[in-house]
Amino acid sequence: MKEVKVQIIGFGFIGQSFAEVLTKRREYLKRNYNLDIKVVSISDISGTIYGDIDLIKALRTMKEKGRIVDYPNEAKVKKSSGLGIEAIENIEADLVLELTPSNIRDGEPGLSHMLAAFRNSKHVVTSNKGPLAIAFKKLKEEAEKNGVEFKFEASVGGAMPIINFAKETLAGTKIISVQGIFNGTTNYILTKMTRDNVPLDIVLKEAQEMGIAERDPSYDIDGIDTASKLVIIANAVMDIDATIKDVKIEGIRKITPELITLAKEDGYVVKLIGEVCKNKLEVSPRLVPISHPLNVGGTLNVAVFYTDIAGEVTVIGKGAGKETVSALLSDIISIYRCR
Amino acid sequence: MRISIDIELKDVPGELLRALEPIASYGGNIVSIVHLREEKKDKVPVHLIFEIDSQEKLKKILEEYEKRDISVLKIGEAKRRIVVTVGVVGHIIDTDLMDTIDRINEVEGALVEDLSLRMSDPEKESSAIFKVVLSDEEIKEKFFERLYEIAREKDLLIIKSISD
Ligand SMILES: NC(=O)c1ccc[n+]([C@@H]2O[C@H](COP(=O)([O-])OP(=O)(O)OC[C@H]3O[C@@H](n4cnc5c(N)ncnc54)[C@H](OP(=O)(O)O)[C@@H]3O)[C@@H](O)[C@H]2O)c1
Repeated sequence: MKEVKVQIIGFGFIGQSFAEVLTKRREYLKRNYNLDIKVVSISDISGTIYGDIDLIKALRTMKEKGRIVDYPNEAKVKKSSGLGIEAIENIEADLVLELTPSNIRDGEPGLSHMLAAFRNSKHVVTSNKGPLAIAFKKLKEEAEKNGVEFKFEASVGGAMPIINFAKETLAGTKIISVQGIFNGTTNYILTKMTRDNVPLDIVLKEAQEMGIAERDPSYDIDGIDTASKLVIIANAVMDIDATIKDVKIEGIRKITPELITLAKEDGYVVKLIGEVCKNKLEVSPRLVPISHPLNVGGTLNVAVFYTDIAGEVTVIGKGAGKETVSALLSDIISIYRCR
Repeated sequence: MRISIDIELKDVPGELLRALEPIASYGGNIVSIVHLREEKKDKVPVHLIFEIDSQEKLKKILEEYEKRDISVLKIGEAKRRIVVTVGVVGHIIDTDLMDTIDRINEVEGALVEDLSLRMSDPEKESSAIFKVVLSDEEIKEKFFERLYEIAREKDLLIIKSISD
C-alpha cells in the first residue's frame, strides 16, 4: 500500500467537493490502486489545519462556520494562522492540491503555491488555470528540475478529458489544431438565447441567479476564461510556448438575438469558440453548422482535435461543477501508477 | 476533377440528352447545365459542369461527342467556387452598407451574393448574415483581409464560420 500525503490548498467549492468524494472513495482507491490517500493539511484564507484530519468534520466545519480554522479543537489536529504558502513550506507531504481562485492578472496566490511545492519536492495537482495561463513554461521547468509531477487536467474543461487524452490516448498522433467550447457559462447563455430569442443581458441575469454565472461575468463573457484554457492546451498539448497575451480575444457581449435568429435560419448556431493551431490562438464567437460536433448545448464543453493519423476526434463533457473532482482524482492516480 | 465545357447543340428535341448520355455512361456526375437559348439560331450553346474521375474517361467522352457531331467550343477544369458565410453585428446600415458591399466586391473573385439583415431598433446595432461567393479557395485570405479592414473602420463585429 502506498501512502500519499496530500495538502489541500484552497478549501472552497472544488476543495470541499474533492474531500467529499474522497470520504466515499478511500476504500475503493486502496483496493483498486493500492493507494492510501491521506489529507494531512487543509488551508483556506482563515489559516491552516494539519495533523490527523477527519474530512467529515472538516466538511461540517465549512458548512457551519465557513472557516477551516474553526475545526473542532482536538489534540491530533493543530491549527495555524499561516496560509497556503506556510503550509507548503512547513508541513511534510507528497502532493499539493492547489485549488485557490484563478487569477489571470498575476496568477497569485496559486503561482507561489505551485513554485513552493516544487521547491519542496512535492507533486502538484491543480484545477487553477491562472498560473498556467501566465507562466506555464516556468512551472513545467521547475517541476522537472525538482523531479516532481505537475498535473492540471481539471484546469481545462473540468471533468472533460482533454490534456491527458491528447497526450496519452492520442500519443504518436500529431494534433494539427484544436477547436472547442471551453466555457460552460457562455455556452449556457448562447444556448438559451438561441432557444428563447432573448437578449444577452436578460439571460445573463438569470444565469447569475442560478449560480451558473459569476457576479462579475466578464471572465466568462469577454472570453478571458476560454483564452486561459486555450493557452494551457497550446502549451501542454501542442508544445506552443504561449501566454494569455498571445491570444486574440473577442467575447460574446455584442451577440444579438437577431444574429442568432438569422444564423439559425441559415442552419448555424453561434458559439464562443477557442481555436489553437501552430500560428494562431484565437477566441471568438463563430458560426457552427447545426450538425457539427461542436454544437453542444447547455453548460457542456467540447473539444474537436484535428489530427494527422486519427482524423477528427471529439470529446464532450461537463466543463465545471463538482464533476471536476474526477479530473483531480485521475491526475493523482496517474502520478502513482507510473511510480 | 471538375470539368467546365461549352458545347453547341442543334436546336432539335433530344439533343441535350444526347450530350449528357456519354457523361453518364462513363460515371460522370453532372453538376450544372446552363442552356442559353437565343432566338433565331439553329444552334444552341450549352454550358456544362461535371465531375469525372480520370483523364481517360474524359477523353472517351470527347471522342463520343465527335462521333455524335457535337461541337466543343471551350473546355477546361472548373474552379470550385466556394460560398463563405459570415455574421456581422454593428451599425451596418448607418456605416454605408452599399460601400461595404462594393468594397467586398472589389476583391477580385469575390461577390456578395446574399444578405439578410435584421434590426431590433433603428437606434441599436443591426445584425446580418452575408453570403459571399469566392471563385476559389485562394481568394479567401484576401477577402477576409478586406472584410476585417472594413470592420475595423466601421466598428463592426465579424463572426466567421467554424471552417474559415
Ligand atoms: N468551480 C468549478 O466548477 C471549477 C471547475 C474547474 C476549475 N475550477 C478552478 O478551481 C479553483 C477553485 O475553484 P472553486 O470553485 O473551489 O473556488 P472557491 O470556492 O472560491 O474556493 C477557493 C478557495 O481558495 C481559498 N484561498 C484563497 N486564497 C488563499 C490562500 N492564499 N491560501 C489558502 N487558501 C486560499 C479560498 O478561501 P476563502 O473562501 O476563505 O477566501 C477558498 O477556500 C479555481 O482556480 C477555479 O478556477 C473551478
